[in-house]
Amino acid sequence: MLQFAADVLVRAVDLALIAIALSAVYSLIRFPNVAVVQYSVVGAFLAIAMQGAGVPLLLAGAIACLVVAALAVFFNMAIFERILKIGSANALIASLALSMILSAIFLVAFGSQPTRLDLPVSRAINLFGARLTVNQIYSVVMTVVAIGLYALVLFQTPLGRQMRATATNAELAQATGIDTRRITNIVVAISGVLAAIGGISLAVKGAVSIEFGTNMLLPVFAAAILGGLGNSMGALAGALVIAVAETLVTNVNFGPLAGQSFFYLPANYATTVSFIVLVAVLLFRPRGLFVSGVNRV
Amino acid sequence: MTSVRALLIGAAAVALTAGPGMAVPAVAQEIAIGAVLPLSGVNATIGEDQRRGITLALEEINAEGGVLGQPFSVIIEDSGGRAQTAIDAATKLVTVDQAPIVIGEYSSGNTLPMGQYLVQQGVPHINPASTSGQIRDIGETSFSVVGLDNVSTAFAAQDVLDQGWNSVAVFAMNNAFGQGVAEEFAEHFTALGGEITTSLLYNTGQSTYRRELQQLAAGTPDAIVYTAYGTEGAIINQEAFELGLQDEFPFYSILMTMMNSDTEAQFKVGQIGMDVGYIGGNGGSYRDAYMAEYGEDLLSAYGGYAHDAVLLAAAAIERAGSTDSQAILAALAELGVEGFEGATGTINFDEERQRTEQPYLKFITDGDDLAVREE
Repeated sequence: MLQFAADVLVRAVDLALIAIALSAVYSLIRFPNVAVVQYSVVGAFLAIAMQGAGVPLLLAGAIACLVVAALAVFFNMAIFERILKIGSANALIASLALSMILSAIFLVAFGSQPTRLDLPVSRAINLFGARLTVNQIYSVVMTVVAIGLYALVLFQTPLGRQMRATATNAELAQATGIDTRRITNIVVAISGVLAAIGGISLAVKGAVSIEFGTNMLLPVFAAAILGGLGNSMGALAGALVIAVAETLVTNVNFGPLAGQSFFYLPANYATTVSFIVLVAVLLFRPRGLFVSGVNRV
Repeated sequence: MTSVRALLIGAAAVALTAGPGMAVPAVAQEIAIGAVLPLSGVNATIGEDQRRGITLALEEINAEGGVLGQPFSVIIEDSGGRAQTAIDAATKLVTVDQAPIVIGEYSSGNTLPMGQYLVQQGVPHINPASTSGQIRDIGETSFSVVGLDNVSTAFAAQDVLDQGWNSVAVFAMNNAFGQGVAEEFAEHFTALGGEITTSLLYNTGQSTYRRELQQLAAGTPDAIVYTAYGTEGAIINQEAFELGLQDEFPFYSILMTMMNSDTEAQFKVGQIGMDVGYIGGNGGSYRDAYMAEYGEDLLSAYGGYAHDAVLLAAAAIERAGSTDSQAILAALAELGVEGFEGATGTINFDEERQRTEQPYLKFITDGDDLAVREE
């Protein structure tokens, strides 16, 4: 049971930061920017490359976050701001195209083989019967701190108030003197940082390959939509729900039902579950699990 | 305009029909067969080893006067480790070079479609490396100089039982090779009185295999029997170490040289396994020639099989007395019945043109390297 909880926690941490980043951007720019998922892979690859070049890991991570933030703002101003004027569907397609281009760049720059951060590998710690590795614990701590800081900015600072005001009603926010374009780009930059931390926290736990972004896309999307796109803290809850669903599929022994002592569903069926959850939510609660006064989708 | 175009088309048609005919005198100088190898991509190291094996075989053959009194050569094409490229390469070898025999590839997923293409063309195909059971069904003109998984898994099943491990979990990649290994191993192991607790197939190219490893451990087997390609084997072994599974269960690797070079020593301490043998009866001289030529030991077991594929092809053409495919096929079948001596031992074919017996080696890790287990 504790192993189940540990697996859920680790999986939720995988998804949470990227889902929050996706949701935060959506709250201001009304289209789901698929490329945010790839930003996390950019962050991970940059950190790995810099560490390989001899930069200390913490510094490499910090630089990677800043570079990804700058890239996110650049892409937003150069591509998405313009295409959004045509329509949000066009912007969605453009973000898909950007994802594919980034993927191709990873292939050329890093090859098709998985790469990893150079971290000491140690045996898992047995916490009351649950196996957790030190690196998994690092990644949980990183994610919790990042989400905590983001929540602090969002709910406790003037900047956060402006962000929320712009998200709720951009015209009204502008009328009260908020520079909404600036706020939008700040949120885009923050989402870049969150995505990069998400990617690095994944790289801390295991290998990263160019298919990473594609593999994460569906569960991250499901988590963000579950939480109500644009509701960034809802995305956190969404990530937890997806993690529980995936872990149920892979950790429950269906042996007794199948008349065998052990029968597990193949671990790759986990993604199917997030797909089912996604479809179910879109059918029955298209605005996510948490009803809000603001029309978000 | 119209007449100019007609003239051009006519000229092109003449050039096309004349093309192969004009090529014949040049080709007649020497006898060239074809080979498709993974010279780039994930399995590039193996491809290079195969290329070296082929080069050494050619030196041997030409030192003894070539084939049918002509110099003998192999036109080598790169598959890039991809099925479509392998088929394109085989197409080029058949249609442009008119190769009477095509050797190739390495991974079963590429050898299968490529072999099927060659069978459709009626061109003799020699498989020098792929061991999936599905290779058996490629067709009438396809031969294997390597024993398939029914032979290797029988060897592995006996070896695992000899360790006193009576119930095991099986872990293999979800492709033609992995499915074959999992099924055939289970068949032999249960026939010998063993029990399979769980059999899991994993998708290749994942960045983590923790979920699958935890599922394997849940069955509390005596040991975990697995097979993995290079970098995936590295991840699986590292995660098994991190999860503490290597302390709880011994790991046994089928075709151990596939993953060994990529896995760090600390994540495979004391691990045992098996692979196809490098050398058989006449293997000593092959290994000596290899080390003299390349200044290092054999890169893998598969260079020797590519070497033998070339020797067998040359012997078949010599016996056939021509490059006619029907005559070559008959000669290959005859050689398979008589037994052909190669670097990997005596090659005999069963009635489905697959090698019946071949050497295997038992391994145990020795730091980064592998040492042969004598049991």
